[in-house]
Amino acid sequence: MPEANTPVFRRAVIALSGSAIDAGIVRLALEVTRHTHAELIAVHVVELDWTQPLDADVAERSEEAQRVLDAAEGIAELMHGKLESVLVQARDVGAAIVDEAAAREADLLILGLPYRTRFGGDFAIGRAVPYALKNAPCAVWVVREPMGEESR
Amino acid sequence: MTAPNSPLRGRKLGDRRVVVDRPHSAYFRYAGAGVMIAKAAASAPTTAFGRRLARVRAFIFGKPLSSAQEIEERLSKKLALPIFSSDAISSSAYATDEILRVLVLAGLAWMTWSIAVAAAIALMLTIVAFSYRQVCRGYPSGGGAYVVARENLGPNFGLIAAAALMVDYVMTVAVSSASALANLATAFEAIAPYKVELGALVIVLVTAANLRGVRESGNIFAIPTYLFVGMALLAVGVGLVNTATGAAHHLSPPPFAEQPGVQAFTMLLLLKAFAGGSVALTGVEAIANGVPAFKPPEAKNAANTLIIMALLLGTIFIGLTFVGLQYGVMATTPQGPTVLGQVGSAVFGGGFLFILLQISAALILFLACNTSFNAFPRLAAILANDDCMPRQFAFRGDRLAFSWGIVVLAAVAIGMLYAFNASVDALIPLYSVGVFICFTLSQAGMVVHWRKERSSGWAWRSMVNGCGAILTGVVFVVVASEKFFNGAWMVLIFIPSLIAMMMFIRHQYASSARQLTMRPGAAVPQPHRHNRVVIPISGVDRAVVQALNVARSITTDIRAVYVSDDPHHSDSIRDLWTQAVPDVPLVLVESPYRALIAPVVAYLDVLDRSWPNEQEKPITFVLIPEYVARSWWERMLYNQAAKRLRAALLGRPHTVVINVPYRRDDARPPAAPEEQPAGTLVAADNGRPH
Repeated sequence: MPEANTPVFRRAVIALSGSAIDAGIVRLALEVTRHTHAELIAVHVVELDWTQPLDADVAERSEEAQRVLDAAEGIAELMHGKLESVLVQARDVGAAIVDEAAAREADLLILGLPYRTRFGGDFAIGRAVPYALKNAPCAVWVVREPMGEESR
Repeated sequence: MTAPNSPLRGRKLGDRRVVVDRPHSAYFRYAGAGVMIAKAAASAPTTAFGRRLARVRAFIFGKPLSSAQEIEERLSKKLALPIFSSDAISSSAYATDEILRVLVLAGLAWMTWSIAVAAAIALMLTIVAFSYRQVCRGYPSGGGAYVVARENLGPNFGLIAAAALMVDYVMTVAVSSASALANLATAFEAIAPYKVELGALVIVLVTAANLRGVRESGNIFAIPTYLFVGMALLAVGVGLVNTATGAAHHLSPPPFAEQPGVQAFTMLLLLKAFAGGSVALTGVEAIANGVPAFKPPEAKNAANTLIIMALLLGTIFIGLTFVGLQYGVMATTPQGPTVLGQVGSAVFGGGFLFILLQISAALILFLACNTSFNAFPRLAAILANDDCMPRQFAFRGDRLAFSWGIVVLAAVAIGMLYAFNASVDALIPLYSVGVFICFTLSQAGMVVHWRKERSSGWAWRSMVNGCGAILTGVVFVVVASEKFFNGAWMVLIFIPSLIAMMMFIRHQYASSARQLTMRPGAAVPQPHRHNRVVIPISGVDRAVVQALNVARSITTDIRAVYVSDDPHHSDSIRDLWTQAVPDVPLVLVESPYRALIAPVVAYLDVLDRSWPNEQEKPITFVLIPEYVARSWWERMLYNQAAKRLRAALLGRPHTVVINVPYRRDDARPPAAPEEQPAGTLVAADNGRPH
């Protein structure tokens, strides 16, 4: 692609799911925005079911949830980049990510997609990625992790 | 937990989300289950003064580096060469002078032997470099001669090598700064009276550069080293071309030339010339000490850098000696031109290149001490890890440099400068004695290493190292006996003293470790000793109430002690106490001699003595209420007695001293009496802050 057509982003939201692909998309975002000094916001959503109130003390106490964002911050630090991290509790992950990206007026949303298959072998895309692709007001990049050996 | 944030509306009806606070994220980062990594903010100062100080430190030494950045601070071969080789390469600037100065004693006819002596030294350099190359590969954690001797000859031989090296590193710093100042003083006589102060200033500047981190100091010091190497090789090259084309002619004797002697040319004289020229080898060991400072693969890079250094050193040294011989250069007294200067003047004809050569030589002599600033702290850190030096030496500072080693080296070297009035003549006999001890031990250690390992070629390798050990051993004996009465005897006192100190430290750490070590697999039982609390008070106030509340969380066996020199005041305190804290006994100690601290300590002794002998002594918690001052000047007004009491109780058996600070911010408006829950203490606010 010619240099002139490379899109320039001001603010990108990276949706982190806590899976192995997170590190890859954080690195990708840092590389893409290295020269434009775009603002990077890593968002991790903890999904709460209806048995708990939305403001229940779940994510703040969850070391695992905190670790997802801390790992992203660590990668940014190693790559001498800056990254803001946001931890969110919501009923629906896709909606929360899109809402957060819209609220922050992001012009890019990056999502990682682990390669998973349903029982029977069909590829499982989940709910968050289709929701983001359909509803996000900004550009959406979906990075699917490589197939495992057994899936090829 | 912080208060939950209110839900935010989404773009679609019914979508809600709550942004959760991450209070830890400003200071820590989770790295694994239950593992947190402190961020820079966690180490940042919290007071305004501390922040200002940190800004000044960052300006002088650079911003603090995290441990993860250590790999970025590693040295490439290009940068490591000037850092670890400035000492060794700089010695080529004066080693030939040392040979000629001895040979001239037998007359000018014997000066031609200088090339043979230089060749013999180059052979020894090859053996030593070969040996240290193996050390780099065999002992990649660094430590050089110390580790080789420790592993193969025993820990005490390791300490001998370490002590000898440390003395030599200190002397390198003192001698190089003194000689650089002496050179400058010949050009600018006005600075001669301030040689010591200026020498100290030079050392402080090199220290500051090294405290900025190894890579940054490398960037600072690389140019002078490469400039010298380039100019010296150019001088040698031009001299060789002139020799080949027959353009090299004998020069007229330089000013201050050493007068030819009439001594017989004996083996001893030759040996002395060999020992004199062997100063060229000083600093060769530095790379083997600092293998971990190299970029991966560390051992390979260090070994290759060592070979490059040995090649450069050998080429410049032999080249200068050979070209000097063709031009008939002579040794001079310290006031006269050096061999390098004479060769430079002969081949460049005294123009710009000659001046550049002289400047680069002055600079590299100036910076020869930088090698010590890299090698000494690393050696000290390895010794600290082996419990032979205080453990602070193993800590890395803000810039990942071994700050303690750097600062201590600078301080001792400045002390040497002051003690010897920055006199090169007085310092030089102490120089290059220790390094030959460590060469000998490292070569001998490698002989044992090869014999133990029995890898391919072990027989010839051990033979080469055996020859190296004998040669360097002979040089040590010659150097030490030559310089003994001129001051080398001091080195032979410093080294055993250092060894004794390191053995003492090792013994201390071993003995404390024996006392502190838990039995492997032992489960820690519940504490079974009785606890009691003693609260020394100076009135009945909120600070005392706070201490009492802490005491109640420890035990029910609580008593307060009030020492007074005024019986009337004691009575009022008793009344107040009985009214406010009826359930805690108050012991009033009248002190007619007006002592405040000693009666408290005596009271604790009495408590101990009154405890039944057949029972295990209780743990006595002494809770000292303290009023926390807000500013530095307030600190002078309060807590003076508390500080003295704390000092008096330091190390007292079965006693735990706890300061219970009371901040003004802790103050709450007292609740109305009817609202006070049962058992709450409210002190009358008429006590004096302690």
